[in-house]
Amino acid sequence: MTRTALKQRKKKTGPGWISQLITMFREGDLKTRLGFLIMGFGSFMRGQIIKGLLFLTSQAIMVWYVLGFASQYLSKLDTLGDIGMQRVWSGERQNFVRTPGDNSLLILLFSVMSIMLFIAFIALWHSSIRSGYKAQKLLENKKRLPSFSDDIKSMLNDRFHFTLMSLPSLMVIAFTILPTIFMILIAFTNFDSKHQPPGNMFTWVGFENFSNLFGANPLIANTFSKILGWTMVWAVIATVTNYLFGMLLAIFINNKHIKLKAMWRTIFVITIAVPQFVSLMLMSQILHQEGPLNALLKQFGFIQQSIPFITDINNARLTVLSVNLWVGIPYTMLITSGILMNIPKDLYESASIDGASPLKMFVYITLPYMLFITTPYLITAFVGNINNFNVIFLLTRGGPLVTEYYQAGKTDLLVTWLYRLTVEKQDYSLASTIGIFVFFITAGLSLLVFNLSGSTRREEEFQ
Amino acid sequence: MNKQRAIHRKSARFIPLLALLLPMSFLLSFIKVPGIDGLGFSSSGLSLLFSGLNIINLLPLFITAALSFFFGLLTLRPTRANLRLTASAFTLSILVFIYTLLSAKSMADASGLLPAPFLVKHLQFGFWLYFLLAFLGLILSLIALRQPSTYIVLTAMAAIWLLPIIWLIMTSFRAERGAYTPYIIPKGWTLDNYIRLFTQTNQFNFARWYLNTLFVSVITCAATTMMVLMISFTFSRLRFPSRRLLMNIGLVVAMFPGFMSMIAVYHILKAVGLAKSLISLILVYTGGGILNYTIAKGFFDTIPRSLDEAATIDGATKNTVFWRITLPSSKPIVVYTAITAFIAPWVDFIFVSVIMKDDYANYTVALGLFRMLEREHIYEYFTRFTAGAVLVAIPITLLFIKIQKFYVEGVTGGAVKG
Repeated sequence: MTRTALKQRKKKTGPGWISQLITMFREGDLKTRLGFLIMGFGSFMRGQIIKGLLFLTSQAIMVWYVLGFASQYLSKLDTLGDIGMQRVWSGERQNFVRTPGDNSLLILLFSVMSIMLFIAFIALWHSSIRSGYKAQKLLENKKRLPSFSDDIKSMLNDRFHFTLMSLPSLMVIAFTILPTIFMILIAFTNFDSKHQPPGNMFTWVGFENFSNLFGANPLIANTFSKILGWTMVWAVIATVTNYLFGMLLAIFINNKHIKLKAMWRTIFVITIAVPQFVSLMLMSQILHQEGPLNALLKQFGFIQQSIPFITDINNARLTVLSVNLWVGIPYTMLITSGILMNIPKDLYESASIDGASPLKMFVYITLPYMLFITTPYLITAFVGNINNFNVIFLLTRGGPLVTEYYQAGKTDLLVTWLYRLTVEKQDYSLASTIGIFVFFITAGLSLLVFNLSGSTRREEEFQ
Repeated sequence: MNKQRAIHRKSARFIPLLALLLPMSFLLSFIKVPGIDGLGFSSSGLSLLFSGLNIINLLPLFITAALSFFFGLLTLRPTRANLRLTASAFTLSILVFIYTLLSAKSMADASGLLPAPFLVKHLQFGFWLYFLLAFLGLILSLIALRQPSTYIVLTAMAAIWLLPIIWLIMTSFRAERGAYTPYIIPKGWTLDNYIRLFTQTNQFNFARWYLNTLFVSVITCAATTMMVLMISFTFSRLRFPSRRLLMNIGLVVAMFPGFMSMIAVYHILKAVGLAKSLISLILVYTGGGILNYTIAKGFFDTIPRSLDEAATIDGATKNTVFWRITLPSSKPIVVYTAITAFIAPWVDFIFVSVIMKDDYANYTVALGLFRMLEREHIYEYFTRFTAGAVLVAIPITLLFIKIQKFYVEGVTGGAVKG
């Protein structure tokens, strides 16, 4: 698709549906215009009875939903609840009785849900008007109206995308989009361990969490900057070492004189095929103070005292980086093998005629070629390492924990810190703020990949 | 090419020299170097062993050194057969060296003549020279044989990558209880860990977890596969106004860290009364798996459109095209999608822990195994954990090996073509 075509499309989809409404209202007859108020009226009065009734039912359901359910939550959205749980003296029981107050969490959750439903409803409303308008136009041009069974049939052909997309979209909206919007909003509240519904309410605090993260609260801001720093150092070192060593391994195995290539490859693939939680928990046991590695080293007289691989700060950082190599090198090997074989052989032949050493060939031919082809992969791997939860969590749990950090340890990445804040400390608002920050890093880098790879731009060319 | 041949010949010429030095360095490790203590070479170490009774322990080292020497001299006439013999002799030398290095402590302890504690760093300098020479000899023989010397690196790496897994399997058959032992190879072997995993179910009901996981993963697999294929087909083949918008929304939403929304998902499930049930797990894994449609979409993009168009001319609807044309010609991607969806419930321990909390009966294997390693259980359950891990790892490993090709294509975004 060319750029100009894209621009034209944007113009159409932008304010398109509003201008469509205006034209439909202007050109529509009474039946169509009444359809603006009573959904499906335009269709129903022209003989598309089932369709009209379906639209009308959906309107009725929506009205019932808003009045009966959503209004009680939406009306409290501005403060997220006014009356908390209270202890009231009950004369009957001669005791204090707890009366349930407003539950901020449910208010926010159901409000977001209702707003999303409302948007869906507007889309439905729009399509009901359009359906009436279309029927009017067809009759004006003396054409046959599609019957209900025609409509059903079109769901399998012209509107097949609608049939296919509805169920998956629903799932994604319910389990990804709705929760994500909810948690983004949480970043603007004070939902933490001290404000836990149903006992206590939380409320909007604006950008307080963001300002805490960026300096207003010295402890949190200091932790944040240190963890961000380590996350970046970790991501750079982990990505670069994995990439270089993985590629070297691939080059070793791809060497044309090496026999039993499949066997070598399988040996390394086995280690990534073993589920990560198994292999990483295994590693954390192996590296334990009393674990087999220390036992082995002591048994053979290499060391006298156990090496604290995981409990010492510097050791722990080195350990996670090395174990990440153990986990990551086979991945890179698997991925780069195919690309390495695609490097034109004549490049190497002419180089070897000129008397280039293998090292020179690697630096001047292999590396530039690979970097050119795999830049998108590298950035994806970098993003993956920023969010590399498993390696850190299963090995060190973010530890060793230190008091100068706010609920974090020296090997914690942003994402493991986020995990600890949500699951263990119930400090949701701060966690959400960190999540949004991680999103901006991820999104920024992914945008870069998108522009570099070009595969999305050339999408149509393949077919 | 001539130049390379010259390299082969030159390396062959050096081998006899190394072969000569090898036995000498062996003898060197017995010579006390007075006053050089503290420079890194200790005057204790193996030289003292020589005066002890344990010379028999060093016999293998001496024999292999002699072998290398003998075959090394043969390479003065560097035929292929001679070179091959030398290479094997050097390999043997290295292996015996490593064995001796590893057993040095027990030898030293057994001799009782050494100041305790004996550490490897007390070994003589000639000892290390021996290793270096044998290593160089092997490399040179490989070069002379025109075999890549990377075999050595590959073997070492393979050992590093396989040993932890071998240890896992060995420990799963270990008879002694407890998490950590001061030795590597179990003293007693037993199948008990596997048996107790399925029979002692009062606290950790592994059999039930296995069935839970199987149930969840089979249904998740079916649902996710269907939906992913539907979405991929829609985005790849059908053109409609909001297509780009929807694809972009999917892309943006997937960039938020998944842990962030976990709590919200839990509350949504609680609000509809599904928290702590296996159905909620199925919903969550399916909802999460749908957005991984890019690989399948990329595959559909490569199926030529002319097929669809021909069918449409013959009067097929898009529904027919999907079922009769696209799906049958996409068997590999269907398998890939199904297997990845099947694996997800087996390896996730985070979402289950948030959704199930302490409802042990509804755990999946991953979370169950994770719990076994908690401080209060690890002594009792460690060997059973390894047995369980083996039982989980076997099917997953086999499935992964089957789909590795697609995995590569998925990660590189189709950059590997042809």
